[in-house]
Amino acid sequence: MIRVIRAELLKLRTTPGPWVVVGVTVLLTALGIITAFLVSFGNHVHFVAPVAEHRLRRLVGSGYTGEGVWMAAIIGVLCITGEYRHKVITTSLLLTPRRPELLVAKAVASVVWGIALGVVSLLFVGALGIPLLVSQGGSVSALFGQAGAVIPGLLGAFALLALFGLGFGTLIKNQVAGVLAILGIAFLIEPIITGLLPQVGRWLPSDAASAVAGGIARGNQTSYLLSWWLGVLVLAAWGIVPTVLGYFTTFRRDVT
Amino acid sequence: MSSPTSTGAVIEVRGLSKRFGSIEAVRGLDFSVVPGRVTGFLGPNGAGKTTTLRMLLGLVTPTAGTATIFGRRYAELADPVRHVGAVLEATSFHPARRARQHLKMMTLASGIAESRIDEVLGLVGLADSAQRRVGGFSLGMRQRLELAGALLGDPDVLILDEPSNGLDPQGIAWLREFLRHLAAQGRTILVSSHLLAEMAQTVDDVVIVSGGQLRAQGPLATLSAQAHSSMRIRTPEVPRLLGVLAAAGFPARQSATDTVMADGATPEALGPVLAANQIVLYELAHEGTDLESMFLSLTGPVAGAPGGGQVPPPTPVPQRPLGPPPGYAAPPPPPQGPVPPGPVPQ
Repeated sequence: MIRVIRAELLKLRTTPGPWVVVGVTVLLTALGIITAFLVSFGNHVHFVAPVAEHRLRRLVGSGYTGEGVWMAAIIGVLCITGEYRHKVITTSLLLTPRRPELLVAKAVASVVWGIALGVVSLLFVGALGIPLLVSQGGSVSALFGQAGAVIPGLLGAFALLALFGLGFGTLIKNQVAGVLAILGIAFLIEPIITGLLPQVGRWLPSDAASAVAGGIARGNQTSYLLSWWLGVLVLAAWGIVPTVLGYFTTFRRDVT
Repeated sequence: MSSPTSTGAVIEVRGLSKRFGSIEAVRGLDFSVVPGRVTGFLGPNGAGKTTTLRMLLGLVTPTAGTATIFGRRYAELADPVRHVGAVLEATSFHPARRARQHLKMMTLASGIAESRIDEVLGLVGLADSAQRRVGGFSLGMRQRLELAGALLGDPDVLILDEPSNGLDPQGIAWLREFLRHLAAQGRTILVSSHLLAEMAQTVDDVVIVSGGQLRAQGPLATLSAQAHSSMRIRTPEVPRLLGVLAAAGFPARQSATDTVMADGATPEALGPVLAANQIVLYELAHEGTDLESMFLSLTGPVAGAPGGGQVPPPTPVPQRPLGPPPGYAAPPPPPQGPVPPGPVPQ
């Protein structure tokens, strides 16, 4: 199993798609970092160092608050749909004919990449966020004081959304459709449902991820979110259920 | 050589069937492949060859029957690529991946030593292209890379689906030598093709399919012997001979002023007829009818059938030793053009 996982990790790093995703994650993290410094007073927006705890947590979690976390889901989609796009699935199944084993290896590789993207976002907070904080007279030690509270939830959200992407990719098979489905759910369907029915919306992937990440992006409007552990279970189910369904509907099919 | 039997066979296909929707791609196929020989898996396009090979490799699930290698289904083999190498199609690469990265991925997944990568790249003549992206490869180079991947695990069994597609003539000649060499080492080689002429110099045994069904299997030499059963008869009495042959049921035609060709006939069958009718003979000899027309007559009747099997095929001949098939008594006249490459013992 370790061997198959290593092969899956090599597949991801030897194609351009995942590296584009890393680049986009960095850009979105930059966006998250900048918004962590913005405060509006009346009609004016000011660029000031965060001091309050929840704003410091936002800065640590810029990879999440800038929506870079969804790039983990894109990695999951690429991990499975890349197989069909270029028929690599033929070689993969000759190497690993027991298909559940291959799919589990893909799930692990996606989660590893998801966590790696989370780490990249944290490193970029260090590279861009800390210098900005210092330049604005903020306290680095206060920032580090919040890091421990944010990082586990942040990485958990990255990891589980990668699994979510793999599940949708397994169901849909088509790379472009898979990516669009993920983005549509995250930025179109779910905000509408959550806006109308927050009690339903909190069970959906984005709000479940928000619960996992400790509500860092929601400011003080976190009371409707699930508890973090329920968020972990719900988000994991959003990954595992489509993966298992996809196994039975598409992944088991004949490869002709 | 005796024909392959279940004893000693490495690849065994028993009652194998596959239905895709309304199309029966493979119907009750039975054959076996023995080690140390190159076995040609022959049939026209759409005969079910690729589907059969993919069932053998666990990529397609049979509707019925079994296809085993060393007595096991492919998915039941431990580290299958160490036992079975497969060359399926030259398209299963990510174009952005370098040749070496593709093979590295294969060694990682299978636990094969990385040192094998350079060995197989050298074997197939791609050593200089190891760091190139596969997207820039020609079809022939992709085919060689596919072969390199198949050889990584130094497998005892090699399964190749139309491997000469995209290869230039030198490449085909090289592949032919290479397969012969591997078989001489005692490996089991099963190679599919829709061209018998291309395979005739390479294969020891043949399995001929058409319309998803077995048409014949056995040593190529047996097939050749039967293919060469046309007789050339020189006589001053051409018109009377043609009449006699027609009356006796031998298809015949005049090929020169004093020569008649009797297709599918043997000296033993013709002799008594000629003697009984007191035909003056100048010459009675075998004429080298090519294997290709034998092959066409075996596979022809359903070769163009839409859906590869919706038209009822002629009487099936499963598990039957090589022999003239139904309808063989009246094959099309052999081509008068260049004789296809093939063993043509006179």
